[in-house]
Amino acid sequence: MRRILTTCPYCGTGCCFYLLAEDDGRLAGVEPSMEHPVARGGLCLKGWSAFHFVNHPDRLTTPMIRRNGKLEPASWGEALDLVVAKLKDIQAGHGNDSVAFFASAKMTNEENYLMMKLARAVFRTNNVDHCARLCHASTVVGLAAAFGSGAMTNSISCMEEADCLLVTGSNTTEQHPLIGSRIISNVKERGAKLIVADNRKIRLARFADLHIRPANGTDVAFLNGMMNVIIAEGLEDKEFVKTRTENYEELKKAVSNYPPEKAAEICGITPGEIVEAARMFAKAHKAMIVYSMGITQHTHGVDNVKSCTNLVMLTGNIGRPGTGVNPLRGQNNVQGACDMGALANCYTGYQGVTDPAIRAKFEKAWAVDNLPANVGLTITTAINAAADGNLNALYVAGENPMMSDPDQNHVRKALEKLEFLVVQDIFPTPTSAFAHVVLPAASFAEKDGTFTSTERRVQRVRKAIEPVGESRADWEIFCDVAKRAGYGGMQYGSVSEIMDEIASVTPIYGGISLERVDKIGLQWPCRSKDDPGTPVLHVGKFTRGLGLFSPVEYRPSAELPDAEYPFLLSTGRCYPHFHTGTMTRRSRTLEREEPFAYVEISPEDAKTLDIRDRQPVFVATRRGEVRCMARVTDVAKKGVLFMPFHFEEAPANRLTNNALDPVAKIPEYKVCAAKIRRSS
Amino acid sequence: MKAFSVEELDAFFRSLEADYDVRVPVTRHDGTRTLGVPGDGPLALAGGVVPSRITNVFFPHLEAVLAVRDGGTTMPSPLAKPLFVAGLTAQDADCLEFVDQFFAAGLPDDLYRRRRSGAVVACVSGRCGAGGEFLKIARGKCDLELVGDGRKYILAAYSDAGKALAGKLPGGEPVANDALAKLIEESDALPADDLHVLQTASKLLLENKVPDEFWQKIANRCIACTSCNLACPSCTCFDVFDRKAADGIVERWRLWDSCQLDGFQREASGHNPMGAQRQRTHRRIHHRLAADVIKWGHITCYLCGRCDMVCPTGIGIKAVCRELVQEYGAA
Repeated sequence: MRRILTTCPYCGTGCCFYLLAEDDGRLAGVEPSMEHPVARGGLCLKGWSAFHFVNHPDRLTTPMIRRNGKLEPASWGEALDLVVAKLKDIQAGHGNDSVAFFASAKMTNEENYLMMKLARAVFRTNNVDHCARLCHASTVVGLAAAFGSGAMTNSISCMEEADCLLVTGSNTTEQHPLIGSRIISNVKERGAKLIVADNRKIRLARFADLHIRPANGTDVAFLNGMMNVIIAEGLEDKEFVKTRTENYEELKKAVSNYPPEKAAEICGITPGEIVEAARMFAKAHKAMIVYSMGITQHTHGVDNVKSCTNLVMLTGNIGRPGTGVNPLRGQNNVQGACDMGALANCYTGYQGVTDPAIRAKFEKAWAVDNLPANVGLTITTAINAAADGNLNALYVAGENPMMSDPDQNHVRKALEKLEFLVVQDIFPTPTSAFAHVVLPAASFAEKDGTFTSTERRVQRVRKAIEPVGESRADWEIFCDVAKRAGYGGMQYGSVSEIMDEIASVTPIYGGISLERVDKIGLQWPCRSKDDPGTPVLHVGKFTRGLGLFSPVEYRPSAELPDAEYPFLLSTGRCYPHFHTGTMTRRSRTLEREEPFAYVEISPEDAKTLDIRDRQPVFVATRRGEVRCMARVTDVAKKGVLFMPFHFEEAPANRLTNNALDPVAKIPEYKVCAAKIRRSS
Repeated sequence: MKAFSVEELDAFFRSLEADYDVRVPVTRHDGTRTLGVPGDGPLALAGGVVPSRITNVFFPHLEAVLAVRDGGTTMPSPLAKPLFVAGLTAQDADCLEFVDQFFAAGLPDDLYRRRRSGAVVACVSGRCGAGGEFLKIARGKCDLELVGDGRKYILAAYSDAGKALAGKLPGGEPVANDALAKLIEESDALPADDLHVLQTASKLLLENKVPDEFWQKIANRCIACTSCNLACPSCTCFDVFDRKAADGIVERWRLWDSCQLDGFQREASGHNPMGAQRQRTHRRIHHRLAADVIKWGHITCYLCGRCDMVCPTGIGIKAVCRELVQEYGAA
């Protein structure tokens, strides 16, 4: 039995633990790390179960090629030669941008970097993106506009230092349990004030000094209302506003249109709640905002994020421990995948593809000419392009758009129209069912590399066992594809060499190396070999210089309830499962805990519709219908339904609306109109 | 009576590998102390309780029960060598005694027995806890004991197997005849506050004096991480499941379980008699302090401290009992 220190493959909290590996090459358990600054000897339910899917018999163990309509086993050589030949052929016929690449927040930094490099340096397209598009694209855009850096401003440890926390759109104890537990400890032990602004009665609401339930999608009105009160009562941090920010007068003008009475009417709450929240937040010495998908997954996601930045700047709550805007990243390496430039508009470290000097730098580093200068297709726009017949091939690594993207019937149409689809994954998925080539990848337990957690902590992933079957680490597959495509600049002896290359082209990762992140990691920016990393961003000065107030107006969500579809449907995750369920639904304890798709409905609505708890129901929107189990609970507010999106047999994303934020291109998963009826 | 240096003990543990599957506390890559084979990391006898569930050597997190192939059934192969396990605290020895009793009661558990029989267990105690804390001396309930005197470890052997191994330990320096007795005196004088709290809580639970509101309050703080159960060396619950592999083999496994989960006691109908988290929180404490008192005649929490160490929201059994006694103890 060996014990190997690695990082959890689930949420972005980034707990480290030891994997227990048997001599027969199978995993036999986990043990928490006592020394890790985030885990501190603990783990959540998913962490304790993180070894369990790895040796599941469903693992993809051999490459497969579709022949006569059926996926049949093939050799690696055959499969990869076909991938290269088809992609090149399609590009020759339709241009370089007829091909797109989906990288993954589940892969390591090194792998995301290489897939980005493969797309840009080898296949000469900026059509590379990943699922951050679906979760925090609005964060990256909104925070970068206000502060100059699109990441969580503070550290997880700051959750225990804040005097007041505004938690909005984050079910923290279920989705980032070891962060949620710190909030509970801070409230119970230090007496910190807690404001929960969330439609659902989540666990943290039980501890809240103030639980406010604004209507879904009215965040801008709520936050503008708070700022209106703060300015009217003179509670703003005048010195901070004067010395650290710009564009204040414009903000003041914009929020003057949101007196608490008006904001409360939009939000469906009382003016008093807005006033109380404003005072509580503004009067705290150290206040912070914690948010997640409830803020970002809207057609006005960027506006929501900008409102958060406005509030912390107005009250001087940034650039100090215990303060800041703290978006909690949902996946183990979604921060890193963004940092690595697996985004349609930038290289590593958010260096824009439209900047000629940056392109020149990468051309030199990669020994290529004429890197593409146009911003590429995002995940969401690539699927739209495929559905319209404007994208011919797609290479998907570790993503599952059939389950994760909005409007499943639309995604199905898009995938069916593709001339060539490559899916590289650890398990068969509803997406791989459409693939022409399937490539078996190694799991997190079978490879080396790094993940970057939500607090920008770059930390190690270590190989505990050999890859199952013929599966190979994603980075090795990308290198092989590059080599077969005739590119000589992607051959590495180890992942350490890849990270060294990343550091050489990425200022914020300049001081990162595998050696330096060995035990507890390093938080970027880490610009040089003697830089100790940065737990708190924007101390003394924002990355962009002065913080920019961005006045925003409330815009209603794209599809609101009406007579035909009278309910508001919101989607998200539940505690035992993760994303499209490929791993957690193959983990015994997790699947046992939540084996059925369900929809949360309030007791009042259930009574009106004569729906009983655990009874089968149909939920329908203009896009489709699913059958699942009713969960009658006061977690749900009257008029609102909530569905987790993990279940293939009742995919919530068959129902969701493919309406995008105009800038970030993130879909509106949190609001659409739905109806519900009993199943006979 | 002799005392041995860490280096002498390290060499001794390595020498036992010829005859035993040796597990000793080691310091891992990032400084975490766990059990491991000698050489997995520096020997870490000092430092107090080993944080992970120490009974996992006999009852692992995930364990093959049997495999079915072509209609035939095969059991996992027995261990090639018996286990030698060092690093239990006195409280851990109490836990192990209870777990031995649990797995031997009723239908004896063959998988446990295979690992446990022939195993030699060594406790570590005395002046070698975390930050120099004095650890209670077990005085039995194990085969051997290494009692730290602040500099070296005095060896005490209790069972025949322990005495036989102790006789093979070379080196050491003689210590005064009363050296161990003095340390035992010190051990006996250790405060028993936590035990008193636990006993008072047990009494209150048996007298049904703790209302649902208390358990709801504690349950609110529980994020159902299950760490309390999975770190507890006295917890013995497991779940059984089968996995069919592509090559036609069906394997049956058992996996640690947690009574803090809804799925633990949910019925096939979907109904759960322990469906409210408040009930499950109550159950966790009640089981150890009341139900087991009725079944076994004694409390089955031995105050090893692990659940309080790993619970991310501060509701390990000691913390809950302190709160419980504070609220209802005076009445």
